[in-house]
Amino acid sequence: MQAAQTSSAPCFSSPSLRDETASSALAVFDTPDEWAAFSQLRQLRQLHQRNGEPDATGDAASAAAALWESQVRVRGMHCAACALTLEQALLAVPGVLSARVSAASGRATVTWSAAQTRPSIWLAAPHSLGYQLLPASDAFALADGVQEARLMLWRWLVAGFCMMQVMMYAVPGYLAEPGDITPDIEKLLRWASWVLSLPVVLFSCGPFFANALRDLQQRRISMDLPVALGIAVTFAVSSAATFDPAGWWGQEVYFDSLTMFVFFLLSGRWLEQRLRTRTSGSLDALMQRLPDTVERQGTDGRFQRIAVRRLNVGDIIRVPPGEAFPADGTLVAGDTFADEALMTGESRPVAHANGSRVMAGSYNLSNTVQVRVDQLGAATRYAQIVALMAQASTDKPRLALLADRVAKPFLAFVLLAAVFAAAFWWPTDPARALMAAVAVLVVTCPCALSLATPAAMLTTAGALARRGVLVRRMQAIESLAGIDTVIFDKTGTLTDSAIGLRRVHVRPRSAATLTPTQTLKPTLTQARALQIAASLAQHSLHPVSMALVAAAGSAALMDTLVDLVDVKSMPGLGLEGEIGNPADAAELAELAELAEPAEPGRVGPLRLGSARFCGVDGSPEPSSTDAMQVYLACNQEWLARFELDELIRPDAGKAIAALQAMGIRLQILSGDQAASAGRVAHQLGVRDVEGDCTPQTKLARLQHLQTLGHKVLMVGDGLNDGPVLAGADVSMAVGKSVPLAQAQCDFVLPGGQLMMLPAMLKQARRTMRVVRQNLWWAAIYNAVCVPLALAGWLPAWLAGLGMALSSLLVIANAARLAASPVPNQPGPG
Amino acid sequence: MDILFLLVPLSVLLALAVMGVLAWAVWSGQFEALESEGQRIFQQESVEGSEIAQKKLETH
Repeated sequence: MQAAQTSSAPCFSSPSLRDETASSALAVFDTPDEWAAFSQLRQLRQLHQRNGEPDATGDAASAAAALWESQVRVRGMHCAACALTLEQALLAVPGVLSARVSAASGRATVTWSAAQTRPSIWLAAPHSLGYQLLPASDAFALADGVQEARLMLWRWLVAGFCMMQVMMYAVPGYLAEPGDITPDIEKLLRWASWVLSLPVVLFSCGPFFANALRDLQQRRISMDLPVALGIAVTFAVSSAATFDPAGWWGQEVYFDSLTMFVFFLLSGRWLEQRLRTRTSGSLDALMQRLPDTVERQGTDGRFQRIAVRRLNVGDIIRVPPGEAFPADGTLVAGDTFADEALMTGESRPVAHANGSRVMAGSYNLSNTVQVRVDQLGAATRYAQIVALMAQASTDKPRLALLADRVAKPFLAFVLLAAVFAAAFWWPTDPARALMAAVAVLVVTCPCALSLATPAAMLTTAGALARRGVLVRRMQAIESLAGIDTVIFDKTGTLTDSAIGLRRVHVRPRSAATLTPTQTLKPTLTQARALQIAASLAQHSLHPVSMALVAAAGSAALMDTLVDLVDVKSMPGLGLEGEIGNPADAAELAELAELAEPAEPGRVGPLRLGSARFCGVDGSPEPSSTDAMQVYLACNQEWLARFELDELIRPDAGKAIAALQAMGIRLQILSGDQAASAGRVAHQLGVRDVEGDCTPQTKLARLQHLQTLGHKVLMVGDGLNDGPVLAGADVSMAVGKSVPLAQAQCDFVLPGGQLMMLPAMLKQARRTMRVVRQNLWWAAIYNAVCVPLALAGWLPAWLAGLGMALSSLLVIANAARLAASPVPNQPGPG
Repeated sequence: MDILFLLVPLSVLLALAVMGVLAWAVWSGQFEALESEGQRIFQQESVEGSEIAQKKLETH
C-alpha cells in the first residue's frame, strides 16, 4: 500500500530547467560535420575578393563564410498564423537570411550565414515563443513525398484542363445540324481534340496503365484493368477515326467522353491522397520522440554531449528531467519518475528506483539520473513495438473490396461479349466483325462501375470531415459498414488523458483533544480543503495541480485563497509554501490541531504532495481504492486527502449504449491495471474487459476474434495500441493520439467525440447502400447497351452520351450522401 | 469560316501555353500552404517582417 502511494505521488519539474538543457543540447549541432546532415551548402560568399584581401585563409574560413540552407522540423505549431510568427522570430536573429515555414507540413527551411551565426543560436531563438525546432535529417525523404503530391496534382490538372478544351471542340458536333459543319472543319476540330487528348492518355492515365500492368504480372484483376483496357481501346478507335475516317472502325470519336471519364477518376484519387496526407503523422515523425543528443560519461568521468547515434551499449548517460530516455537502460544513480503513457498506456508517472529499468521513448519527469545503456536502436522495446506494428499492418486481413470483386466477372463479361460479337459477324463480314467487337469494348467502358465506389466514399468522407472526423483511407468506409465488434483502449480513448478529482477526505477531529470550546468551531469542510489545496496548486502546472485547481473552479475566488509566500516545488515530492497571512495561519493551526506555535502567527509550511512528503505514516485511513492520492498537510499534520482518477469522457456512456443498441459487441483491452480497467468498464456497462495487456496480448486477442470470423473495429490512441490498430479490420485514433497511432489508422477523431462512432457506422452502412445502387445501375446500363452494340443498333454518338450520362448519374446518386449527413447530436460545436 | 483554320490551331497552342503556366504553378509549390498566405494580412508585423528580410538580403 505504501509503495502504491509513493508511486502515485505527483512530481514537479521546473520549466526553466528544461530550457537550459534544451539550449545546451543544441550546441552539438555547431560543427560543420553535423550541418551536412540537415543542410545543404548554398553558396560560398566571395568575401575575400571583395575586401581585396588575398584568399589565404583556406578551406575552413571559406566554409565558415558560406550560406547554408537547413531543413528543420517544428514542434508546437497549431495554425497557419503560427508559421508567420515563427518566420519573424527566425528572421530577427542576426545572420538568418531567409526563413520559410510551412504550417501544413510542420517544416521550415532556413538560410543562414555561417560567418554570422550558428545553428544552436537560431534553433533556440523561437523557444521562448513556445516552438521547438529540431534538425530534420530526413529532409530528403520528405522531398519525395512533396514531389509525389505535386505529380498527382499535375496529372489531375492536365486531365481537367484538357477535358474542358476538348469539350469546347466537341460541342459543335452535338449542336450542329447535318451539313452545317464542312468536313474539313470537322476534321480540324477532331485533330485539335486529338492533340489535347494525347497528354491525358499518355500522362494523366499513367497510374491506371501502370496498375493494370502490375495486376497482369501478379495475375490478379482489379478495377484498373478494365479501366485501362477501356481507355486504350477508346483512344485507339478515336485516333484511327481521326486520321482515317474511311477505315472499318467507323468515323466516330469519343475524346470528350474519354477525357471526362479520366478527369472524374483522377479527381477521386487526388482527393483521396489529400485526405491521407492531411492527417499525415508518419513513422519517422514519431522517431523524433527519441532525443538527438545525450550526455555521455567520458573516460575522465566528465559528461559530454554527443549525438545519440554514437552511443554504445554499456555507456553511462545522464538524462535531465524533461528529456526522453534515448535507449533502454538501467538506472545507476538517482531515482526518478518516468512518463511511460505512450508505451504502456499507464497515465500516471511510474517510479523508478536505482537499479530499475527504464524504456527508450519514455520521459524522465523529476530528477536528473544516470543510466547504463542496455539496449540501443532496434533492440529497444520502443523499436520492437514499431516493428510489431509494421508486421501487423502487412498481416492485415485484406478485405476484397466490392468494386474489385465486381471487376473480375465484369472483365470476363466484356471480353466474352467482344469475342462473341466478332465471331457472330466473321462468317458474313470480317470488317463488320472487328467493328462490332470494338463497339462493345467502347460501350462497356466501365465508367459507372469504376466511379460507383469512389464517388460515394468521397462524399461520405466529406460529410464526415464536416463533423470533425478525418478519413485517412477511404476503402475503410466499406469495411466499417461490416463491423460487428468494437475493441476500445481505455486510457485516452474512453477516458480523458487528463485526470480529475474524485473524492476529498478531510481530517476527522480526534476525540482526545476535543474540548467544549473546540466543538463549537467549524471543522474543515471539503470545499475549504480544496480551496487551500488550490492556493498551493495554482503555482504548478503538474497535471495533479491542474486537476485540483480545476476542481476548486470558480468557487476558489482570490480572496478565499490562502495567501502564500515562497512557494517551492520539490521535484518528485510536491509543493511547499509558507503562509503569509497570520489569520490564515491561525485557521490552519487550529484545523491541523497543532500545539501552541513557538512564534505567534507562524506555523510550519503548508505542503501538498505524497504521503511521505506530508509526513503521513502509512495510511491514516484505510484506503479502499487504487486511485492516485495527494495529501494536504500543515506542519507535517495532514488536513485532507484528495483522490484523483481518470475522467471518463462525457459522451462515452451514451456512445456505448448506442453501439450496444445496434447489436455491436464491445470489449475493452487496456494496458492499465486490471482493477482500474474493470472499474471504467463497469461504469460504462461493458462486460468484456481485460487489463494488464501488453501490445502482444492485445494483438493476440484481436487475431483470435478475427479467426472466429468477427470484423473488428479498434479504437485507441497510444503507441501500445499501434500493433492492434494496424491489425484490426478498421482502426480509429481518438483525441490527441500518438502520431504513430494516427499513421496506422483509417479514421482519426481529433476532438474525441465518441458519439460520432454510432453515427459513423450508420453513415458507412448508408454509403454501402448507395454504392450497391450505383453498381446495379452500371450493370443494367451494360446489360442494355451490349446487346444493342452487338446488333450494331447503337449509334456511336449515343454510346458516347450514354457513357457520360452514366458517370454523371452515379455521381449525382452519391451526392445524396452529402445532402443528408449523419444526424446531428446535441453538444457544443 | 476560313478563319477557323487559324483560330482552332491557335486555341490548341493557347491551351498548351496555359498548361505551361499551370505546370510552373504546381512545381513551384503555389498550391501548397494556401491558408498562411491568406492569413498574412492579419499580421501587424508581417509588413515589417518582410522589410527586415528585404534589408537583410540587400546587405548581403
